[in-house]
Amino acid sequence: MKKITKILATGLLMLCLSATMTSHAQILKGGYFTVDWQFNAPVSNDYAPVASGWGMAFEGGYYIIPNMSLGLFISYHTNNKYIGEQVLHLSSTESLYTDQQHSIYQVPFGVASRWRFIKEGMFEPYIGVKLGAMYTRMESNTQVYTYYQDRWGFNVQPEIGMSLYPMPSSRTGIHLALYYSYSTNKSHVLTYNIDGYNNIGFRLGISF
Amino acid sequence: MKKLLPLLLLTIIVTGCQKEPDWGKLSNDLLVYTHYDEEVDFTKYNTFYIPDSILVLDNSKKEPVYISSNDIRAHSILEALTDEMTRCGYTQVYDRADADLGIITSYVKRTSTYVGYDYPYWWFDFYYYWPFDYWDPYYYDWYPYYPYPVTYSYTTGTIAVEMIALKDADTSSKMLPFVWTACMAGIESSNQINISNAIAGIYQAFEQSPYINAQ
Repeated sequence: MKKITKILATGLLMLCLSATMTSHAQILKGGYFTVDWQFNAPVSNDYAPVASGWGMAFEGGYYIIPNMSLGLFISYHTNNKYIGEQVLHLSSTESLYTDQQHSIYQVPFGVASRWRFIKEGMFEPYIGVKLGAMYTRMESNTQVYTYYQDRWGFNVQPEIGMSLYPMPSSRTGIHLALYYSYSTNKSHVLTYNIDGYNNIGFRLGISF
Repeated sequence: MKKLLPLLLLTIIVTGCQKEPDWGKLSNDLLVYTHYDEEVDFTKYNTFYIPDSILVLDNSKKEPVYISSNDIRAHSILEALTDEMTRCGYTQVYDRADADLGIITSYVKRTSTYVGYDYPYWWFDFYYYWPFDYWDPYYYDWYPYYPYPVTYSYTTGTIAVEMIALKDADTSSKMLPFVWTACMAGIESSNQINISNAIAGIYQAFEQSPYINAQ
């Protein structure tokens, strides 16, 4: 399944790249797409606070007025942390001794909006906000069992970014963005609780 | 349908892209789970009896299989349990009729199995278990009584140790109270019991159960 997934992901990426390389025009006039690698750091939770680059982000939008766009986005990210052997007191009468691999998997998706300061220039700096839902899976993996909880919540992501189009004849360029993400998901696994997910990070990829 | 294809692809990619943790970082040590009846005062018991064999559980419909203490693996495990009970201040007796506590040990050799208890219902996935008339012929149609809700998923390579309060056998309800349960998972390597892991698990089970004390 994972091999198939990787093949599909690579295929989709190649499809996007080939589409942009073969045409000097935009795929959708007045619109844009971004495919990014994502680096994410969870903040204000001790469960899996290790930054990682295990994520991607996809976004597409259309400029409804010259400087403002509306669109859709989806991204995913995993953050893991190893926890050494310890005794967890699951209740007043239950104890569990184990080591663990903590994992948080986040998939926010929804509506994206941008305000660009320069229209169709070589540099296109912008500010944006994303609103939507977020699915999370909070996992504790042990040698024998995986304990997990799936949760849904509301997600908001302010973002600043920039698209760089080095070739004047092409709207294929580089995309860079910094973001903050907050969602209302509440999760509980074993003796651990997360009340709201906060993340900061950046995205680097292609824009077309 | 063609319009849905990219969406379908994206969904597959996104939902299948969770990065797995580094399994190699997890140690080969045990997972040890313990549960006890907090209403029980363990100082009221003085003696214990431990059978000289370990029951093998594998979901088959064959006759029960026991590993006797002539086997080095069973001998080491039972010896560690006896040592820990003695260290906690209990005296081993060799006549089960004289025992306040009974210690039964089972080894889940194959397949995942499940035991659940939510009063007054009790069920067990195994085709056999330790017979209650082992302790007294009078107990042949008795039931276990777990004072705490139990939902265990036993998996391959688990040793389960249960402590029965024989002193508190309830003749009116025909129930034998189980006052402590310990599960040690991950004690198997190369389809064999890893003795050192099993013994380490027993020590850990008692270490995280300081209430088991005769004093």
